[in-house]
Amino acid sequence: MNKLVKIFTIFISAIALTIASISSSFAKVEGEYIVLGSAISLTGKYSSNGVHTQNGYNMAVERINKMGGVKVGGKSYKFEIIYYDDESNPKRAAQLAERLIKQDGVHYMLGPYSSGLTKAIAPVTEKYKIPMVEANGASRSLFTKGYKYLFAVLSPANQYLEVAIDLAVEKNGGKPVKIAQAFEQDAFSQDVRLGILDAAKRTGSEIIIDDKLPKELNDMAATLAKVKATKPDVLVVSGHTKGALTAIRQISEMKVDVPMLAMTHCDAAKLSKQHGKKSEYALCASQWHKNLSYKDKFFGSGKKYDKDFKKEFGYAPPYQSAESSAALLVFKDAFERANSFDRDKVRDALKTTEMQTFYGNIKFGPGGQNVAKPMILFQVRCKGDTCENKVVAPTKWASDKFYHPIPKWSERS
Amino acid sequence: MGNIKQKDLILYSGLIILGLAAPYLFSAFKVQLTYLCVLIVLAMTWNLQGGEMGYNSFGNILFYGLGMYLTASVQVGMFFPLAEWTESGGEKTFVHTTAQYFQGIGVGLLVSAIVPAIVAGAIGYAILGLRGHYFAICTLGLGIAAGEIAGGIEIIGAGQGFTTPPFPAEIVDVEARGKFFYFLSFALLIGTFVFVKYIYGSRFRLILNAIRDNEDKAEAMGIQTMKYKIVGWMVSAFFCGLAGGIMGGLIGYIDSTDVAFDGREMGVFMVLMAILGGKGTLWGPVIGATLFHFFKEGLWTLILGWQYVALGVLIVVIVVYFPEGLMGWLREKYPERFGEVIDDKDRKAQVELK
Repeated sequence: MNKLVKIFTIFISAIALTIASISSSFAKVEGEYIVLGSAISLTGKYSSNGVHTQNGYNMAVERINKMGGVKVGGKSYKFEIIYYDDESNPKRAAQLAERLIKQDGVHYMLGPYSSGLTKAIAPVTEKYKIPMVEANGASRSLFTKGYKYLFAVLSPANQYLEVAIDLAVEKNGGKPVKIAQAFEQDAFSQDVRLGILDAAKRTGSEIIIDDKLPKELNDMAATLAKVKATKPDVLVVSGHTKGALTAIRQISEMKVDVPMLAMTHCDAAKLSKQHGKKSEYALCASQWHKNLSYKDKFFGSGKKYDKDFKKEFGYAPPYQSAESSAALLVFKDAFERANSFDRDKVRDALKTTEMQTFYGNIKFGPGGQNVAKPMILFQVRCKGDTCENKVVAPTKWASDKFYHPIPKWSERS
Repeated sequence: MGNIKQKDLILYSGLIILGLAAPYLFSAFKVQLTYLCVLIVLAMTWNLQGGEMGYNSFGNILFYGLGMYLTASVQVGMFFPLAEWTESGGEKTFVHTTAQYFQGIGVGLLVSAIVPAIVAGAIGYAILGLRGHYFAICTLGLGIAAGEIAGGIEIIGAGQGFTTPPFPAEIVDVEARGKFFYFLSFALLIGTFVFVKYIYGSRFRLILNAIRDNEDKAEAMGIQTMKYKIVGWMVSAFFCGLAGGIMGGLIGYIDSTDVAFDGREMGVFMVLMAILGGKGTLWGPVIGATLFHFFKEGLWTLILGWQYVALGVLIVVIVVYFPEGLMGWLREKYPERFGEVIDDKDRKAQVELK
């Protein structure tokens, strides 16, 4: 019997311990810290982008704290973030949002990575009237639900590749083009698809292949075989980081010749590094590029941000990191303008945000989306063996000319 | 139920009171408590196949996901055009009135119990003839296929996902939603427990055990095994469907493979919890699910990013040290506590025979 008692004591104390560890910190503003909460994908299919997001947040927190923090009511506060791992799973994300708000007492949220997870968290933050500034949920449907506490610093997903279709039509002498497209079955990529459908309708272009790719995708050979057979003018692929990597890998393996290839998530996938010359000429939609001429007093210019980020984390910042850093600048600005920690006052201040950051201009539309910043397109170009992303559209920031059409594989060295 | 022992009566009434008081005592933990109720229901219903019948089903997640989509679809479809609701970027916003919301979820849950049970009957008729690994693999396929198919159906949101109706805004109390879903899931838990306990005292359980121990012999004894296997699966599907329906409303956003047909998580968890607690027992899944949930909620955030490694270790520990689960382990150690009388002489005699 003694042993049984012992086991039960261990069991009970384990439970007590877990409860104690769950309910440790309870505050929105603790001492000199403003506590923000965020569920981030540290594991699962979005883990690499989740880490980009987290690095972006951390970099901004450190920078803002170092440069005087947030001044509210004549006192200076520092940012602190409580992170949880949402495992790239919406169910878990919603649960963790609830936990951050109810158990950790968080009153201000930062967004997770990806549209699907943001969609899962937004109803929770909305219910508790918690302002959330998110940097990685671009799906258009997020902004048509009438959410009042959701603010996104990025452009909506349907705008990602619309420009690419316009560009293809322009290169085709203004005549409609034949489009082949393949999109992952997730909220973000499906929204990119809606954007393409709109663009196709507008330009009278024809969609000859319209494939859906599975999540966790690592094979799209079936789509590429069709592309080989039907010879479209432009191939559009979107499937987060894995989609971009898979597309380039298989296009080069199968030697698929297509005049124009447009994608998303090239820089998050470090395409130009991972695949080098194979990825040359790929056209990529991006929220941000270091060469853009925006400025702020915390990070300076995009180029400076790029340098500092590299020093801190050892790789060039993808736009996911840049926009995440921008989210904190927005929060800081709103706190200072509200000059209060009252959630509704902070929300009202967020609503009237109009500022420039190194990442771009930020001004929120009625649905909470950023309406002040256009998307850009860059193209992977190589010199020798080193490949770089060059901005090609819109023309205001274009550093290079758009190279069209992509040479055939037989002509590429 | 006049034959309930006094000791049991105290236990059950104590648990029910605890359950009813829990959302007030641990107000901040309502969502986790709701998850706990649902996890216990899933573990208990899985135990009917995996534990009692000896059929390791990985397909119960199918009914859970089905229930989730059905409840949400009915709740929306009763009052608004479903296609316009799920269409991404739709400009129109639909708002349920309070009455509509509760009517919708009520009817939705009803549908989400009945339809999965019927589906289980139909699929069961086709595949319950398979045994052992073949059945396990086949059901594994069911869950995956369902996720992929649901991800392609536009009217339920396809890859975009399905946002379930928000809790009526007229109810100002922010705690109301949490309470509503907690009590809903607690009621489901009680219903499931009572039903499974009833099965445990019935001939039906003996038949399921007979199928597990030797299906051919059971058949030779004149039991129509197919019939009972199908009925057993339909029972599981009934409760899984309800569990899914409640979870859909609670989470607020349904994704085809990550939330609804979530075989990778929920589908594995339900098996793991039943095995952890001890399959083939009434209390095993309850204890297993509770322990597992505490482990998950308490420790996972401490080991950010490594939780799946910890889960892997847990699985190995369970399989190596507690192959019969906690209940089985306790039963072996303290058989007299489980009302088993062992004649020491007899046991020694058996040992010597070997």
